[in-house]
Amino acid sequence: MKKTLSPVPPKWPLSLLRLFIKKDYLEEIEGDMEEVFRDNLELFSVKKAQRKYVWEVIRLLRPALTRKLSGTQRLNNGMIRHNLLLTVRNFMRYKNSFFINLTGLSTGLACAFLILLWVQDELRIDKFHEKDDRLYQVMHNLNHTEKVMTITSTPAKLASAMAAEIPEVELAASVIPTGWSSDNGILSIGDKVIKAKEQYASEDYFNVFSFKLLDGDKSTVLSQKNGIAISDELALKLFDTTDDLVGKSLEWKKGEFSGQYQITGVFEKPPKVSSSQFDLVFQFQLFVDNNTYLEQWWNSDPSTYVILKEGTDLAAVNSKVEKFIQTKIERSSSTLFMHKYSDRYLNGQYENGKVAGGRIQYVRLFSMIAILILTIACINFMNLSTARASRRFKEIGVKKAIGVGRRALIAQYLGESVLLSFASLLVAVLITVFFLPTFNQIVEKSLSIQFQYEFVIAVLLITLITGLVSGMYPAFYLSKFKAVNILKGAFDLGGSGSRKGLVVFQFSVSIMLIISVVVIYKQLEFIQSKNLGYDRDNIIIFNNDGELGENLETFLARAKDVPGVINAAAFGHDLMGDHGGTSGLRWEGKDPEVRIGFGNLEVGYDFIETVSIQMLEGRTYSRDFQAEQSKIIFNKAAIDAMGLSDPIGKKVSFWGRERQIIGVSTNFHYESLYKDVEPCFFLLGSGLSKTMVKIRSGTESASIDAIHNLYKEFNEDLPFEYNFLDDDYQAMYNSEQQIATLSKYFCGITILISCLGLFGLVAFTSERRLKEIGIRKILGSGSFRIVYMLSSDFTKMVLLAIFIALPLSYFLARFWLDGFVYRISLEWWFFVLAGFIALVIAWMTVGIQTFKAANINPVQCLRDE
Amino acid sequence: MKKTKLGEFEELVLLTVAVLAEEAYGVEIKRELESRLKETLSVGSIQSALKRMEEKGFLTSEFGEATSKRGGKRKRIYSATPYAHRVLTEMKDIRSQLWEAIPQPITSFQAV
Repeated sequence: MKKTLSPVPPKWPLSLLRLFIKKDYLEEIEGDMEEVFRDNLELFSVKKAQRKYVWEVIRLLRPALTRKLSGTQRLNNGMIRHNLLLTVRNFMRYKNSFFINLTGLSTGLACAFLILLWVQDELRIDKFHEKDDRLYQVMHNLNHTEKVMTITSTPAKLASAMAAEIPEVELAASVIPTGWSSDNGILSIGDKVIKAKEQYASEDYFNVFSFKLLDGDKSTVLSQKNGIAISDELALKLFDTTDDLVGKSLEWKKGEFSGQYQITGVFEKPPKVSSSQFDLVFQFQLFVDNNTYLEQWWNSDPSTYVILKEGTDLAAVNSKVEKFIQTKIERSSSTLFMHKYSDRYLNGQYENGKVAGGRIQYVRLFSMIAILILTIACINFMNLSTARASRRFKEIGVKKAIGVGRRALIAQYLGESVLLSFASLLVAVLITVFFLPTFNQIVEKSLSIQFQYEFVIAVLLITLITGLVSGMYPAFYLSKFKAVNILKGAFDLGGSGSRKGLVVFQFSVSIMLIISVVVIYKQLEFIQSKNLGYDRDNIIIFNNDGELGENLETFLARAKDVPGVINAAAFGHDLMGDHGGTSGLRWEGKDPEVRIGFGNLEVGYDFIETVSIQMLEGRTYSRDFQAEQSKIIFNKAAIDAMGLSDPIGKKVSFWGRERQIIGVSTNFHYESLYKDVEPCFFLLGSGLSKTMVKIRSGTESASIDAIHNLYKEFNEDLPFEYNFLDDDYQAMYNSEQQIATLSKYFCGITILISCLGLFGLVAFTSERRLKEIGIRKILGSGSFRIVYMLSSDFTKMVLLAIFIALPLSYFLARFWLDGFVYRISLEWWFFVLAGFIALVIAWMTVGIQTFKAANINPVQCLRDE
Repeated sequence: MKKTKLGEFEELVLLTVAVLAEEAYGVEIKRELESRLKETLSVGSIQSALKRMEEKGFLTSEFGEATSKRGGKRKRIYSATPYAHRVLTEMKDIRSQLWEAIPQPITSFQAV
């Protein structure tokens, strides 16, 4: 007969039981508990029975049943009261160091909590999907000769082909995400008009992702071409309800997709922790029908997501997927790989076709900063309590003489620091609550303190560890002395070496942070002022909504007539990294093995002039010529990469068409400065979605008003929403801006805490040397001499800190800057400046105290000798 | 009344011990009371009541048999002391006297 293992009660509550319950009762109660557990097993699941067991154990911990303290343990009550009293008295007596410690620890803890909230939120993003562990995005590697480019665009037929041909794939969905075009469409019913962001998704979308459908069926909601799923938020705005909307029709205006659509479902607006945000979902096939080029495997656009079957070996699937495109088109050099969807938010950068970090770096960086700030606050406590040790030596000596063990003393001091850290916790929570709105503004999140047990436990643990860490060193240091020596007064205080070491550490960290802030700011300034090869000042951008899009040429002509408008042009792709691409270009004399990726910018007439991109050769698109649609303009990088000499008039062919080169522009940055300028070309596009207008500086408000009025002539009902090109450009470096702002604050806090510690130390040393100072003054020493004497020690420490911090921060700064292709060089003065700031701050801190000490009247400090 | 007081819950437990006689051990008392009171009780509440009453002299106890269901641990069988019986009877008498002392008409309150 096979013996089955019966479930047992969980282990740890049992040991808790054995620890606390009176010995005489233990056998009986353990037996009772076991019996109740077995009874529960018959009624509930194993899990629930175990949970009930834990709860029962907790309810057993009551005075009538728990062990009384026995023997010497009984003294503990008194000792605890005694220690608590001493702690409070110490706090009261040395208010200075108490407040320094309290301020330091509570600001440190508050920073740590804010960062904890942020990190927690970052780690949660996209993890809410039910099948998260099996949800993958198919990534597309373009294997160009020079380098591998990883993109999310995949062939439109990939999802359905994978679902049909790869047995491990359970479900697959193609999605054209909201970002496919940068403008919003317009949704209307009756007289209600709303702009909305739409995406196109294939049938299984709501099965693959766990966005909640309030109305409609997951599997069929996206099965009609004229069907549309709308968010509850949109539904409320349009209909004031989310109920009974299925079957109602809406009008949608956006280029070729304009028309009447029927609501097939209402979904809950994607939660904040979703990286994909959308208001509307259309059927994917609709998009393909309007973009027939997608029917070919050669062309890529949609993102492809798959759910793998449970227990699938990822490596095995990846090997099948890698060459999947080649099973459709043999000549393709593209490869595919799977990347876990929820992992992409934090690890969304790719190098050489492999995952290479991303936002996770910032998560690590800030966790690191939180730890550093806390450490610095702990160091303050260590320094101040060991420095003040001499004050408490009598107490320790007497205690030791009457037989208090070392462990009891250690416990006493640890208790003291833990008590302090919990006092700081209260203040820290207040600080956190107070600064949370500001912090939210900076990081553009809506974090809130939620009393979930994970967070509460994390907070308590951090506080406890902070208390223990800061108390550890003083506790061991103070308890190690021999009672006889203490009471005889013959002992070497020592410890000043390690104290100095800790101060050096604090200042090294502060200096490193100062340098980081300087470098980050300089780099951002550089980015903002860098000559990008085009001019982004005084340019406004808006969508070619509604009627305006249909009468674009008229609008542009009239816009140019507005006084104050220098130029106006329509465009499809902006210069912020939104562009198409191809590697299928052929030209005369091309090496068939070479594959070059080109960026593709679809623009209208006058675009190049409007953003002032300089031409090296040839001309730009002009309304004066015929058949401009079959002309092409390259940038210099492209001509160089192709190796063409004398390019004007030569022909290239791609996308089944031949085009003649009419111009070559200078290189300009059409992507972020993290990337090099890649080869690209302009095409004259049709149905362009946006317009940019360049305005003479000084006439901004009048000109924008005039444009606004013009816009209203075309679109009476629509709101005129515009952006400045420059703002859009800044937005590209949003996360860097956030990092800069945050590191500025955190740097400030670190310096503040370090200085507090230094202040406390100096106050203490000068106090202890008061008599010496008095005697020196009587013997004729001047105030400055004394200031010098007192501060030279600290100056040396700060100098040492500078010495240590500079090389470290140099490497750190290099590492960060290496991510940018275009970056500042590290100037020597960054480092000198940081060192100087640190030194000045330290001097100011020390100075206040030393001058006070140096100017003291010797009579006051010597009178009681 | 005596100096040593018997709480309401304690009284219920004590009565259950008397009812169960030979079978009066922790879990059985808990089961019996749960079925009568129609609510769940924790092991802790029963045990602490038992221990308190043992201390006050209402109960005595001795080890009983061990079963595999109890993980080999022995039961502790409780029995009410004569003193407990006396106190219980006394309390019952006091209660019934009080009931009788309530002025008429009492029948209308019986539903409560």
